[in-house]
Amino acid sequence: MNRSPLPEVTSGTPVRPAARVRHYLPFATAGLQSLLQYRSSFVTTGITAAAGAAVSVFLWRAVYAGSPPGGGPGGFTAGSITTYLLMAQILQILHANRVDDEVAAEVYRGDVAVMLVRPVSYPVVRFFACLPVVAANAVLVGVPVLGLFTLLVPLTVPRPADVLLFLVSAVLSVLLAFLVNLLTGMTGFVTTNTWGVRMVKQSVVAFFAGQLVPLALMPGPLRALASALPFQGMVDAPLALLLGRYDGVADVAGVLARQLGWVAGLTVLSAVLWRAALSRLEVLGG
Amino acid sequence: MIVAENLVKEFRLAERKPGLAGSLATLFTRKHRIVRAVDGVSFTLPAGSKTAYIGANGAGKSTTIKMLTGIMTPTSGRCLVRGIEPYRHRKDNARGIGVVFGQRSQLWWDLSVPDSFRILHRIYEIPGPVYRRNLALYRELLDIDALGTTPVRQLSLGQRMRAEIAASLLHDPPVVFWDEPTIGLDMVLKDAVRHLVNHVHRELGTTVVLTSHDITDIAAICDSALVVDRGRVVHQGSIRDLLRTADRRSVLFDHRDTTAPERACAGIEQGLPGVSASPAEDGRIRVDYPVDRFTSRQVLAFLLERFDLVDCYAPEPDLEDVLRRIYGGGRPEPVPAEIPCGPAAGGA
Repeated sequence: MNRSPLPEVTSGTPVRPAARVRHYLPFATAGLQSLLQYRSSFVTTGITAAAGAAVSVFLWRAVYAGSPPGGGPGGFTAGSITTYLLMAQILQILHANRVDDEVAAEVYRGDVAVMLVRPVSYPVVRFFACLPVVAANAVLVGVPVLGLFTLLVPLTVPRPADVLLFLVSAVLSVLLAFLVNLLTGMTGFVTTNTWGVRMVKQSVVAFFAGQLVPLALMPGPLRALASALPFQGMVDAPLALLLGRYDGVADVAGVLARQLGWVAGLTVLSAVLWRAALSRLEVLGG
Repeated sequence: MIVAENLVKEFRLAERKPGLAGSLATLFTRKHRIVRAVDGVSFTLPAGSKTAYIGANGAGKSTTIKMLTGIMTPTSGRCLVRGIEPYRHRKDNARGIGVVFGQRSQLWWDLSVPDSFRILHRIYEIPGPVYRRNLALYRELLDIDALGTTPVRQLSLGQRMRAEIAASLLHDPPVVFWDEPTIGLDMVLKDAVRHLVNHVHRELGTTVVLTSHDITDIAAICDSALVVDRGRVVHQGSIRDLLRTADRRSVLFDHRDTTAPERACAGIEQGLPGVSASPAEDGRIRVDYPVDRFTSRQVLAFLLERFDLVDCYAPEPDLEDVLRRIYGGGRPEPVPAEIPCGPAAGGA
């Protein structure tokens, strides 16, 4: 109260990143606690993922059944195409962070107002809140599905170096999935039919990321288009590294740099759009 | 503490035509209409005041609260809370305010109340002693322990509101905005909430801004009122000043005479033209008189002369009536600069 009108406000003071993380970690904890209330949802996610993997794996194994040992279409063998499709399914589980659903719902219902009266940034909150979802999906769904298929079908065993490269690339793909879902959810500011937007997003990602069909099997122009989109970094990039489908160190650096570039670009884009959305926010009702 | 200067907020609403044909038409042509929810509102609320922000539905109350809490940016004009423009420095503002939106939950839907509080403890970096002191207070006044470990989504509305109110005060904010905070509370709990806010106000000098449709809440919690109608401030002052704008007052009395109540009433109405008298439910007789024609002294003198009074009291004017008159397009009451002493002015 003793402040004169329009004093120097503290928002300009730099906050140490560690202090920032401390503000947001509670949201991760809360996310985890909420999640543990719905244990059965992991069972359904697991069954869905396993069934999806089974369909595509057995379909494509039939396609590659007669291919020569040196590799069939796209340079895949029966073993490597199986590994590709299975891991694509695992990545999809890691990408299912629910951010699009939750942001869209909160924006649509106006509950975003409640988040805005807290001293935190909403997109960052959403990021931290989705971490336990991703982790739980990885541990409770990803690992069992992977284990199951390892027993059922022969897989290509990747080189240890490629596994490391894959892990780095997979982290970037999870970040990309977060950003894509955040942007999808934010369409709730301009349309009430976020369900349609989410459906479209899901199909676009599944196709252009190389989850349904490896990009290597697509005709040239389509592959060029897919490579120019951010979705390529979600499935195609990490799996190219896992399966050793690259040409030297420069190629690896290029793959990771492209992912990193998209992460940076989409971060800036969502920050700008978020600010724009806030300035014209009209929380309805209440 | 809180300043609004020519605050304006306009919304663009899409015009929809009625019926299916109208809905189809809006697919192709869409006309927008500008609605001015807050129309050049200016006011200053001093630190430590407890203000009821009163207005009919759609008067711009919630919109103003949303600008003061930093959720919305004004179309023009500005507002300051603790010297900060909330929508420019939303996070800084958020550290110093507590908010209850009666219709939305700020708790974690899937978590229990204690878990939600633990998270708020960390988000707001509430010092340990403050946190424990406040929890003890809520335990004592709001019986917050009774909520146990039930997830918030399974609480009743009244239970949830208790937790919401406690959550808004947990970090000792200098300013609290309560938008319909007592929805769903029974009488006992409403009392407890009043007790709590008065306690916090006394201890910390908290500035309180309350919107409510419940007149008893307003009267019990707030000492001043800001009345907004169609986006404009039509009254600012103490609740007493607001009540003084009443154009009718009442006196209720009981007497020892054997006259039938109907005849007594008729006698009063004859003796004091313009006054209405009726038997009240409790056996008393109620006399309503226009303040611009009679003083209370005149009315009482008349009654004392006519009846053998055994009991007599003059209730506060009904705030609801006063507000209805203000909303009802009645001319805005000039706000008295100084509270005049003595009986209401004006004579017959």
